Amino acid sequence: MTAGQRAATWGQRLAALTWKELLQLSRDVPLLLFLIYSFSLSVLVSGAGITMQLTNAELLVQDEDQSPSSRELIHRFQPPYFALAGAISDPRQGLRQLDQGRAMLVLDVPPRFHEALMSGERTAVQLLVDTTNAPQGLSAAAYTVRIAASFGTETALASAGLSGAKASMPLVSSAHRVWFNPTQDERWFQSISHLLRMITLFAVLLPAAALVREKERGTVEQLLVSPLSPFQIMFSKVLAMSGVILLATALALYGVLHPLFHVPMKGSAALFFLLTGLHVFTTAGFGLVAATLAKNQAQVAMMALFAVGPMLLLSGITSPFESMPQWVQAIMTFSPLRYYIDITYGVMLKGAGLDLLWKPVGAMLLLGGTLFGSGMWRFRRQFQ
Amino acid sequence: MALKEWKETTRDRLFLLLAFLLPALWLVVFGYGLNLDVEDIPFAVLDRDHSEFSRDYLQRFIQSRYFSFRGYADDERTLDRLLTETKIRAAIIVPERFQEQLVAGEPVAVQTLLDGTFPLHTDIAKGYVIAINQAFTEDRLIDFLRRARGLTQEQAGVLVRPLSVEVRYLYNEEVRSTWSMVPALVMFTLMLASPLLTALGVVREKETGSIYNIYSSTVSRAEFLTGKLLPYILISLVNVCVLWLMAVGLFQVPFKGDFLLFLFASMLFVCCTTGIGLLISLLVQTQMAALIITMVVAMIPTILFSGLLVPVASLTRGAKVQAHLFPAMYFTNIVRGSFLKGVGAEVLWIDLLALASFAGALGGLTYHLFTKRPKA
Repeated sequence: MTAGQRAATWGQRLAALTWKELLQLSRDVPLLLFLIYSFSLSVLVSGAGITMQLTNAELLVQDEDQSPSSRELIHRFQPPYFALAGAISDPRQGLRQLDQGRAMLVLDVPPRFHEALMSGERTAVQLLVDTTNAPQGLSAAAYTVRIAASFGTETALASAGLSGAKASMPLVSSAHRVWFNPTQDERWFQSISHLLRMITLFAVLLPAAALVREKERGTVEQLLVSPLSPFQIMFSKVLAMSGVILLATALALYGVLHPLFHVPMKGSAALFFLLTGLHVFTTAGFGLVAATLAKNQAQVAMMALFAVGPMLLLSGITSPFESMPQWVQAIMTFSPLRYYIDITYGVMLKGAGLDLLWKPVGAMLLLGGTLFGSGMWRFRRQFQ
Repeated sequence: MALKEWKETTRDRLFLLLAFLLPALWLVVFGYGLNLDVEDIPFAVLDRDHSEFSRDYLQRFIQSRYFSFRGYADDERTLDRLLTETKIRAAIIVPERFQEQLVAGEPVAVQTLLDGTFPLHTDIAKGYVIAINQAFTEDRLIDFLRRARGLTQEQAGVLVRPLSVEVRYLYNEEVRSTWSMVPALVMFTLMLASPLLTALGVVREKETGSIYNIYSSTVSRAEFLTGKLLPYILISLVNVCVLWLMAVGLFQVPFKGDFLLFLFASMLFVCCTTGIGLLISLLVQTQMAALIITMVVAMIPTILFSGLLVPVASLTRGAKVQAHLFPAMYFTNIVRGSFLKGVGAEVLWIDLLALASFAGALGGLTYHLFTKRPKA
């Protein structure tokens, strides 16, 4: 047999095995339906439904002054950030509503508020903030301070007869330009990060579960006595599942993200899919290592959870990577998702090419190679 | 029945170890590792003025704990590249004649470039920029009013900033994000671990075929289901106690509420979550499907719709409906209520009721769906 023929049989066997995996997957109807749901409807819902920016913070107002100034101030608390949840007359009533979680903020405008402002005295309003959700509470307080400050300065300068003189005062205005997502459309962010979550979750679980199932049923021995190398057995699984996940990603991208949320693809789509394939391959390496360690699917599940949960929450999808503690950043150098996030945002929103992304891509290649290699090594040692 | 399931579960050592270890480890990793505060935003500056004022202005950013200074750039193209490579998330450009114009009493505009890929962080960063900018402006204004109008520092100060806000933070007085996260993470870990255990337990029997022994035995439906559930409920309850101890001991989260109430609510919640696991396991045929579906059903709505990260009030209508369809949201209310707010049944009864009805409904549904003679 020539080397060419050998390579051809090798390829044929790999293709046959991959086809077998696909067939096996296609028979699991609930799983397939779920795959489709995860990459379509659930992306849609999370993209359309979630904003982490302060939205509709329910505000109760206790206006003890009932003056033009107090009404003007209260009027400045507007949607989308705030939602007026009603007026109260008794502080205890406010506390009770906060206890019950019906409101997040209580604003108390003191008596003589208007008078003080007009006569150039200092005055203060009081704000009670429910900080059971700390970031949101801080954000709401910051907005309130900002609203009150600009209101105060405007009114005071106006009452001192200076309002028209703005052009001749040393004011520093801060002009913002937001890049990559100029309107700060949170649907872009949420739908992309949800897609990343789904890709990662399925990339760990599908191949791992498939491999362990063979182990549990004992069919893996059959595969091993056949003229197949361990590499072919493992690689065919990853190949089949990567194909499925890439298809599902395309469904999410061209079925939901593009037409409904108008998420741009500034860079090359081919590059994006290529690198998604790389990510799936690398992440699958995790699953395969877990699969070689586990005896049954329940164990794989627990081990996968062990890796996937932290990976999903700490790699920088939900909160920025740079503000994670140092030790988390150190551990997460082993998370392929951490690099994939940079790659996805780079290609889709920033229009970056390989010239800018070679670092994360290189890191991922290295990680994927190592994981796959060690999975193979363990697999071989177990059975031979 | 319960004894059998118990034996079967305990026999698998690694599984058992993970069942107890995983929730505890998760709480540690997330409790210490998940930082939701937006701090140390990496930024670079382009100072075109090189004056005393521009240095003062930039120094305020460099010294702020919210920003982390990554150096000066020579031109806008460099900033461009740094932003695209995600080396920085913000860039500040101080224009020429910055000091000159301010001294002359003219307004100036400072340009800030922000990375918009994470809109929430962009928004928060923008807030910080505005606040620092405002403080600087106020100082300049006070300076200006003193010189131009002959006011005293005090008078000028009142004129510039007459209104302040006294903010009182309730429940989590120091506004630590661990305090708000850890109780919710107790919910999160329970929501993930317990349905998974249950689902896998039942489907395992289906796959190995030993469920046919049950079908043909004299064990009744109800006996089978409760027998299946009981060990997992027990495991989860032990986990509840462990997690509670960790939250209070390790993370120093105050527990202001009623422990018995909390335990009771946890039991209801655990009934719901194991019930979800059981329900999924009855609908699917393979462990692989059970595993993946449970993870997706449990993990995604819990991260997104339970109030863990985003308050339910901020959700859009569709998402709000979803939030109400999962027990996670109610339990989050109870957990946060008992830990931080110290409220009791008089406030939380709605959530308790909701959990109880979920548990009841799930029980009924699984009872209905589980027939001893499956069609297939």
